[in-house]
Amino acid sequence: MPEWKSEIKKRLAGLHLKPERESEILDELSSHLQDRYDDLRASGVDQDDAIRDVIAELDSTDLVSELQTTEEPPSQPVPEGAPSTGRFLSDFLMDLRYTARTLRKSPGFAAVAILTLALGIGANAAVFTVINSLILNPLPVDTIATLAAVNTTQTKKAAQSDDLQLLSFPNFRDLREKTNSFSSLAAHSNPTTVTMIDQDEPRRVFMELVTANYFETLGLRPSLGRFFLTDEDAKPGAAAVAVLGYSAWQSRFGAIPDIVGKTIKLNNVPFTIVGVGPKNFKGLYAIFGPDLWVPSMMARQFLPSQQQNALTDRSIPSVTGIGRLRPGTPFTQAQAEMKIAAVALDREYPDTNLGQTLVVRHLAEAAYGPEGRGLLLGSMLLAAIVGIVLLIACSNVANLLLARAAARRQEIAIRMALGAGRARLIRQLLTESILLGLFSGVFGFLFGYAGCQLLSSLRPAEYAQNLAELRIDPAVFGFTFVIAILTGLIFGVVPALRSSRTSVSEVIKEETRTAGRRRGRFSFANMLLAAQVAGSLVLLVVAALFLRSIRQQYTIDPGYQTSRLALFMLYPGQAGYDQPRTEQFYKLVRERVSNVPGISSLTWASNPPLWGRKETGLVIEGQEQRKKSDALSAVVNTVDLHYFSTLGISLVSGRDFTTDDRDGSASVAIINDTMAAQVWPNQSPLGKRLQLPQGKNFLQVVGVVKTSNYQTLGEPPQPCVFIPLRQNFSDAMILYVRSEQDPNTILASVRDEIHRIDPGLAVEDIRTGAKIIDQALWWGKISVNLLAVFGFLALALASVGLYGIMAYSVNQRRREIGVRMALGASQGKVWLLVLRQGMTLVLSGLAFGVALALLVGHALSRFLYGVQGTDYSSVAGASLVLMLVALIACYLPARSASRVDPLTALRDA
Amino acid sequence: MPSTADQEWKKGSAELLVLSLLEEQPRHGYDIARLIDLRSGGSIHFHVASLYPLLYRLEKRDWIQGRWLEKANQRRRRYYRLTPQGARVLADKRRQWQEFAGAVARIAGVEHA
Repeated sequence: MPEWKSEIKKRLAGLHLKPERESEILDELSSHLQDRYDDLRASGVDQDDAIRDVIAELDSTDLVSELQTTEEPPSQPVPEGAPSTGRFLSDFLMDLRYTARTLRKSPGFAAVAILTLALGIGANAAVFTVINSLILNPLPVDTIATLAAVNTTQTKKAAQSDDLQLLSFPNFRDLREKTNSFSSLAAHSNPTTVTMIDQDEPRRVFMELVTANYFETLGLRPSLGRFFLTDEDAKPGAAAVAVLGYSAWQSRFGAIPDIVGKTIKLNNVPFTIVGVGPKNFKGLYAIFGPDLWVPSMMARQFLPSQQQNALTDRSIPSVTGIGRLRPGTPFTQAQAEMKIAAVALDREYPDTNLGQTLVVRHLAEAAYGPEGRGLLLGSMLLAAIVGIVLLIACSNVANLLLARAAARRQEIAIRMALGAGRARLIRQLLTESILLGLFSGVFGFLFGYAGCQLLSSLRPAEYAQNLAELRIDPAVFGFTFVIAILTGLIFGVVPALRSSRTSVSEVIKEETRTAGRRRGRFSFANMLLAAQVAGSLVLLVVAALFLRSIRQQYTIDPGYQTSRLALFMLYPGQAGYDQPRTEQFYKLVRERVSNVPGISSLTWASNPPLWGRKETGLVIEGQEQRKKSDALSAVVNTVDLHYFSTLGISLVSGRDFTTDDRDGSASVAIINDTMAAQVWPNQSPLGKRLQLPQGKNFLQVVGVVKTSNYQTLGEPPQPCVFIPLRQNFSDAMILYVRSEQDPNTILASVRDEIHRIDPGLAVEDIRTGAKIIDQALWWGKISVNLLAVFGFLALALASVGLYGIMAYSVNQRRREIGVRMALGASQGKVWLLVLRQGMTLVLSGLAFGVALALLVGHALSRFLYGVQGTDYSSVAGASLVLMLVALIACYLPARSASRVDPLTALRDA
Repeated sequence: MPSTADQEWKKGSAELLVLSLLEEQPRHGYDIARLIDLRSGGSIHFHVASLYPLLYRLEKRDWIQGRWLEKANQRRRRYYRLTPQGARVLADKRRQWQEFAGAVARIAGVEHA
C-alpha cells in the first residue's frame, strides 16, 4: 500500500506549517486518499491504476497555493452585507500576503523580473534627475514665472536669441530709473575668473558682479550671514565685501562655520565675506555658475584693463538685467515698455545705442544661454531612449508572466470554481505585478542614484563645483514611484486579462499538466519579442550613429595645431599689476620661458581656443551705412608676435605683426579670409580700413590669414579680426606655448619658471591642445557614452527575453521533440528546428527595426556631424551585433533541445 | 436583486453544496466528496486538493466546525458539523441561489426540474 502521508508531505513542503497543524492535515488527507483507494479497489480497479488515480487527484490542483489562502492567521470574518470598502482593504492585504508568498516561492523568477525592471526604472530615474535638475527646475529662485532677463541686440536681429548681448551698466541704470513694469530690476555680470588668495596659494575662481538688490529680486535667503546692503553698492569702490556660493564654501573652505567675517584676497584686494548663498544656487545659468558674488560697484577691481570704465561707459557691455514683474503686470507689457525705452536710449545716445533694442525673456528660458535648444533636444532624446529601454524591460517581464500564467492555469481555474470573480482575480494578479514593480522601483531608485553619481563624476574636475548639481529631490522620488506603479500595470495588465479568461470547465477537465497553450497567447509573446528586437536595434543604431559622429568630430581640423600646444591662463591683471608692470611681465615671460628646453615658440593672446569673444558693430571705411541696418560682427582677438606661427595658422596674403606695430605707429589689424571675402569680395583687403565697436580709430588691414574655429569645433566659417597686443594693451592675456615634443613634458618646467617670475600669480589652469578639444567635445562624449550604455542595456534585456522564451518553448515542446527524434529526426534537424523558430522571430523584428532605425536616423540627421542619418554601415553593424547575440540566445535552448532523450521525454509526458 | 444574485451564485455554489450536506448531519471529508459525486450523478466532482482547502476556509469563518472522532470499527476521522452561524449563511445562500435560479428560469424559459 502506498505511503499516502509521505506523498502529501512532499506537496506540503513549501508551506512551513506548524508541526501539529501539518500532522492534522496529513491525517485527514491520507484518510481521504485511503478511502478513495479502497473504493476504487472495491470497484475492481487494479492496484497500480488505483494508486495512479488517487495521486492524480492529489495533483489536480497546486495544493500549496490552495492552502496558502486558508492556512493563515484567521482573518476577520466578513459579515454578510458589510461595506465593500472594508472588504476591499482586507482583500488587498490578503493579496499582498499571497503575492509575497508566491514571489518567495519562485525566487528565480522574482529576481530576474526585479532586476530587469530595476535596470529600466533606474535608467529612467537617472535621466529624469538630469531633466529635473537642468530643465524642469533649473534655478531655485522664488516664483520663476514672474522673473525676466533683459538683454540687448541689434534691431535687425531681434528675432534671433543667439545673438543677445549684455547691457552696458549706464543703460541698465537708466532702465532701472525710467521703467515701471518691474517691481525691482537687478543686474549680474557673466561669471569671470578672478584670482583668490585665502591663505597661501593663489587660486582661480569664478565671480559675478551683482547689484545690491540681486538676491532680493530673486527672492533668495542666505545660508549664513547676509547679502549686500544698498550702501555697499552705492558708489564705485564703496565696499570690498563678497557673498560666497554654497558649494564654494563647501569645497574650497571645508564648510567652516565661522566663514562670515573672514577676509580673502580677490585679485590682490582684500574682501570680507559677509554671507553664504543658498544651497543649490549657482547663479542664473542653468549649467555653469560662479563661486562668489561681489557688488557691481567693485567692477574696477575685476574687469580687464580695456573695460575699466564699465560703470560709466555706455559702449562696454557688462551685465544682464533681471527684473521681477510687478504683480498683475503681464510679461508682454514689460516687453513693450523695454522696446520703448530702447528707442529712447537710441535717440539720447546714438553714438553707442544706435540700432540697438532690448530683449526681454522669461528667466527660465534665459537660463540656458545659447546651448538651451541642444540641451532640451538631447534630454528629449535621452528620455525617449530610456523610455524604450523600460518598455523592453516591461515586455520581457510580461512574457515571463505569460509563461508563468500557463503554468498557473489550474490554480486560477480552481480559484474561479471556488467562487473568485474575474475582477477579483485580475485585481489579485495586478497586485502581484504592481508589487513586483514597486520592488523594482526601490532597486531602480538605487540604480538611478548610482547612475547620477557616475554622471556627476564625469564632470571636468576643474569646473566641477561650478557646474550644475544633479539633485535627487522629492520630484525624483515621486517620479520613480509613479513609474514603478505604471510599470507594474503595463507589464501586468495583458497577462492578467488573459489568465483570468481561463475557462473553468476546460481546465478542470484537463487531466495533466501538459495542458497545451493556446496559440494566440504564444503569438502575443512573439509579437512582444519581435518588438523588443526592433526597439533594441533602433537604440543600437542611434548609438552607432552618434559614435561615428563624435569620431568624425575628433577628426575636425580646428584650423590650428593642437598636438604640441599648451596654454597657461595667467591673467596678470588679477595680481594687481598696473600697465607698465604687466608689460614688463609679458616681456619677462617671453624671454625666460622661451629659454625653457623643449619649447619651440610662444605667444600671448586674449582668447582661449574655442572661447572666442564676438563683437558686433564693426565699421568698414566707405561702408558706414552698414551700421544702421545690418551690423557686422566678428570675433576679436588681441595677439602678440608669433601668434600665427605658434598656432600653425598660415598667412594668405600681406604680413604678420612685427615689432614695429607698437604704440605710436599706424594702427593695424589682420583679418581672416572669411572676413575678407565677406567685406571686400573680389578685391584685396590689404590697405583697407575698419573700426572695432569699442575702437576709437580706424585700423589698417595688413594681412589675411586662414580661417579657423573660434567658438565651437566644426563651426561654419566666421569673420575674425586680430589686433596686436603692443597697440592694444590688455592685462588679461593667455600664454600659448608650442612644444617640440609632447606638450605634457614641458608643463611643469614652464609653471616653475612663471612661479619664479611672480609667486603671487595663480598658474592653476593649464591645458594642452588635446585637452581643449576633449573639453569642447565633453558633452557630446558623455551623450555618446550614455547612448551606448542604453543601447547595450536594451540589447541585453532583449536577448535575455529571447533566451527565456526559447528555453520555455523548448521545454513545452519536449514531447514533440521526443517524438520527432524517436521517428528519426537527427540532432542537427532538431537544432535547426529550434534555431529557425527563434531566428524567424528575430529576423522579423530586425526587418521592422531596420525600417524604424532608418526613419529615426533621418529625423536625427541634423544633430549628426559628418554622418548620414541613414548611415548603412551603422545599421548593418548594429544588425550584425544583434543577430550574433540573438544567435547565442537561441543556441543554448537549441542545444538543450537536441539533447532531449526521446525515451525520457515520452515517458515524462 | 438579480445583479447581486448573479455575482453571488458562482462564488457561493461550492460553499452552498458543502454547507447543505452538513445541514443533515456531521460528515467527514471523504463522505462529502462522495455524496457530491453521487448526488450530482458524477457531473460535479471535488478532488482532495480543492475540497480540503475549502473546508478549512469555511472552518476559519466559523461556518462549520471540525472534530476528530473515532467510531467503532472505523479509522479516526475528522467530522464537520454546521455552526449556528453557518446555518444562517446557508439559509442566505439558499435564498440567493433560488433567486438566481428563478431569474435564470424566468429569462431562459427553463422548466423547474
